[in-house]
Amino acid sequence: MKTGTRKTVLLVIGAAMVLTTAGCGGGLLSSGASGAATPSGPVKLGMVVPISGSSAPTGAYMKNGAQLAVDEINKAGGVLKGRKLELMVEDEACDAQQAVASANKVVSAGVVVSVGGYCSGATLPTLPIFQKANIPMIIPAANSQDLVKQGLANVFLINGTGKQQSTTALAFMKKSGFTTVALVDDNTSYSKDITTETQAQIVADGSVKVLLNTSVTAGESDYSAVVRAIMAKNPALVYWTGYYQEGGLIINQLKKAGFTGKVMVADGSVDPSLPKIAGAGAEGVFATMTQTPDTIKGAERWIANYKAAFNADPGPYSTQSYDAVRLAAKAIEDAGSTKGADIIKALEAIDGFSMFSGPLKFTPEHTLSSGGFVILVIKDGKFILNALQP
Amino acid sequence: MTQLIWDGLFVGSFYALIALGYSMVYGIIKLLNFAHGDIYMLGAFIGFALLTSMGGIPASLSLGALLIVLLVSMLITGGAGVLIERLAYRPLRGAPRLAVLISAVGVSFSLEYGIAAIAGPNPRAYPIRLEGGVFEVLGARASLPQIVLMLIAAGLMVALNFYIQKTSTGRAMRSIALDSNASLLMGINVNAVITRTFFIGSALAGAAGVMAGAYYGKIDFLMGFIIGLKAFTAAVIGGIGNIKGAMLGGLVLGFVEAFGSQWFGGQWRDVFSFAVLILFLTLRPTGILGERVTERM
Amino acid sequence: MSENVDATLAPQRLGPPRSPISRLLESRLIGWVALAAALLAPFVTASPYSLNVMTTAAIFVLLASGLNIVVGYCGLLDLGYIAFMAVGAYTAGIISKSFELPLLFTIPAVLVMTILAGLIIGAPTLRLRSDYLAIVTLGFGEITRITANNLSVTGGPSGIFGIPGLLKIGGLDVENPAVLYYLTVLVVSLFVLASARLGKSRLGRAWRFVREDEDAAEAMGIHTYKVKLLAYIFGAIWGGLGGVLFAAHLSAVSPQSFIFLQSALVLMAVVLGGMGNMRGVVIGALVISLLPELLRDFASNRYLVFGLLLVVVMVFRPQGFWPARGYERERATVDVDPPAVATEQGR
Repeated sequence: MKTGTRKTVLLVIGAAMVLTTAGCGGGLLSSGASGAATPSGPVKLGMVVPISGSSAPTGAYMKNGAQLAVDEINKAGGVLKGRKLELMVEDEACDAQQAVASANKVVSAGVVVSVGGYCSGATLPTLPIFQKANIPMIIPAANSQDLVKQGLANVFLINGTGKQQSTTALAFMKKSGFTTVALVDDNTSYSKDITTETQAQIVADGSVKVLLNTSVTAGESDYSAVVRAIMAKNPALVYWTGYYQEGGLIINQLKKAGFTGKVMVADGSVDPSLPKIAGAGAEGVFATMTQTPDTIKGAERWIANYKAAFNADPGPYSTQSYDAVRLAAKAIEDAGSTKGADIIKALEAIDGFSMFSGPLKFTPEHTLSSGGFVILVIKDGKFILNALQP
Repeated sequence: MTQLIWDGLFVGSFYALIALGYSMVYGIIKLLNFAHGDIYMLGAFIGFALLTSMGGIPASLSLGALLIVLLVSMLITGGAGVLIERLAYRPLRGAPRLAVLISAVGVSFSLEYGIAAIAGPNPRAYPIRLEGGVFEVLGARASLPQIVLMLIAAGLMVALNFYIQKTSTGRAMRSIALDSNASLLMGINVNAVITRTFFIGSALAGAAGVMAGAYYGKIDFLMGFIIGLKAFTAAVIGGIGNIKGAMLGGLVLGFVEAFGSQWFGGQWRDVFSFAVLILFLTLRPTGILGERVTERM
Repeated sequence: MSENVDATLAPQRLGPPRSPISRLLESRLIGWVALAAALLAPFVTASPYSLNVMTTAAIFVLLASGLNIVVGYCGLLDLGYIAFMAVGAYTAGIISKSFELPLLFTIPAVLVMTILAGLIIGAPTLRLRSDYLAIVTLGFGEITRITANNLSVTGGPSGIFGIPGLLKIGGLDVENPAVLYYLTVLVVSLFVLASARLGKSRLGRAWRFVREDEDAAEAMGIHTYKVKLLAYIFGAIWGGLGGVLFAAHLSAVSPQSFIFLQSALVLMAVVLGGMGNMRGVVIGALVISLLPELLRDFASNRYLVFGLLLVVVMVFRPQGFWPARGYERERATVDVDPPAVATEQGR
């Protein structure tokens, strides 16, 4: 009786295993990579962006931007003689572990090019996964210097890097006559990258003085400590390089404390919510940002298309994601195949491909030769292009 | 320097309001209400919903509207506190302490992610803003909203203290804190008093939530987590279970943080306050004003 | 895996398991079956994605079995357990990266560091009441994460990336996901077995005694402080090794992976699975780590569901969803059933 039960259990489980093994042939023993696209099927593009978590709105903008490009290309006949593009979006939630899981998921699904990547901290651990699978990555948003430092052949950044953003910021400070500056970051990888770079460039340049370089903890309400520190030094400009949630609060609290200098924010803070959170203090806040559809002349038609497709306004990184897909399609077309190595070669060879940020040519580091950063300013609660550009 | 003290005092009064609820509940039924910080968040969101549904409010009426919203939110969060006690804590009275704590962690998660599911995970900007004149007092800048909010907080705390010291319910609360079985024998309706305790504690936290929303202008579903821990720290510093201690602890923690972030930098602020908590718990677990307790758990 | 209840109170001897399901789950075989399933799984599906998910789940099982020692056996609520994993992962990552060592050789250092961390956190706090302990461990967890985020030796907010693999011997490259998966499963099952055995040992009995009644335990001559500290240290070792596997698996360690939510998830696995019952904990850990991957709709609301489940389970089953049988039934039936006869009838 006793052994009988056990045997039955074992038998049932064993049989179930054998059956499932036979049923779907994705296992270790089955030959051929599972999920690899058949030569005639759709060409898959993978996009790992934040769909949940605090950066979820940006993920939605990116997803829509990419989808718009996919739809346009498919309408025009697809790539490689009529093969359709297919976009596969997975969540990263700005968390390394989830990003790795999602990256593995899109790799398993047989994507040909990755067109995602928003949070630098979450994108970094996905690099080896795509590299091992030899899948080129066109990263539309994440721009930490750490991504470049890896020196991986398959990684291409089409957002300006932290270094380029810092260069623009410094040029603007010099041109507008800000001689003293306080640098404040939120202790995330992306944000710290910009303050570190800016500090280094300012020190090398010598014409602007850094009075304060400090960090705050994200996710709090009260930033009186950093406000006090800024008030004590009274710089002409505060450069905030974190995200908009805290940026809004800090701008608001600076204003309440009677700060008379100017505030500039980096691209992570360029969000329609920033002026709302910052309240009255938001007017006249500068931002270093790559061009958004709102600020690009002649993009009205694109915005109209976007609105028609998604019934929503485009936001930060919609254009970059749109361009990432177009660039991927172009590279696949140029390479004439869906092989990673060929596409990488094609991407390296691209010269003058027209994008929102200007004609594209990659540097040997696989970054944009010019960052395309401009200065925005908040007027009437909206980000518009500043009259004075560096 | 005076600015530092003023900022510490202001933040500290928020901590104190939330710490009161922690301390009352702990003092009476020895329950660490882990979800208390999330009641603060709930209050902020209820205030947000009320203000949004009222539509455009002229700036001149904003303070009056805020006071009404504050009262309504306090009623609702108080009710939520009572409901939570009824559903998640009362069935566990007498169960191992571990079970009640885990239940409290569960309530905290349910509140946080319930609000995230209803209101969305993105931060919201508060519909009204407290703006007002600024005074220079001894070199510190204090704004009118800050003073109003601190007066409200102080008023609530004084009223609570009166309630506990002078009314019969307050006496009942104190007697349950001493010995709940003996109180029961003396004819005190222990459950009713505990319900009231939860109502008052949660209402105070809800008030703090609305005030924080209106002052800082941004709310999100995780805003209660850290401040709940801070409030607990404040309650411990002052002596948990002691109402005056909670107020004192809140103010002390406000100062300690203000000074800590001045010396070590803002990114170390939380490390600093948790270190203070651990130091207090290990060296003087009864806090500044706590009576000596000999019971062992 | 064997029972984690001591032989004197072996649950199945107390009476026949009631339903076929609990008979199946409480059979001695279930551990071997689970191991076989884990070993055979890659033959069913071996895409990088499924291997990744399975490896993550296995590491999660290790963490849950470690926390089970602290919470389940000893009854100490630890809300910052993930800090031990952080200590392990960072120690392994920093050493292996700066000395170009395979991760395997960092294990001695990891052990030293995690035991040290267990002592630092445990020594001053274990005299505290249980609910203070919960908050203090939470505080320590946050301190660990913030410190890792602020220091430059830990790579700051970006953390450490490009960590070498676990081991490389000739042709056997452990970076291969399938090899890493098998290695993880092997390590995890050894440790799960070890913690189940620990629960059955003299020390395990002392832990449960402390959990049930600390004063009585002390009166019986158990050095409760020392016993609790040992639970902490064992928990820390399990967590630290989980960290090494984590570093090997992701090849990157960043502070964002050690937030409070992660500690809470591990705790949920332990509680929902059944505090003290190692088999329940393993199942709980698998459910919590695999369910969100299987049900995408569920993933977005999982924390809400988990939170509600915690309350419901605590209200209706304060010992956990599927607690170890030993102490649940002892009060009612220990002196009623003649053990040997009951066993014969039951099977």
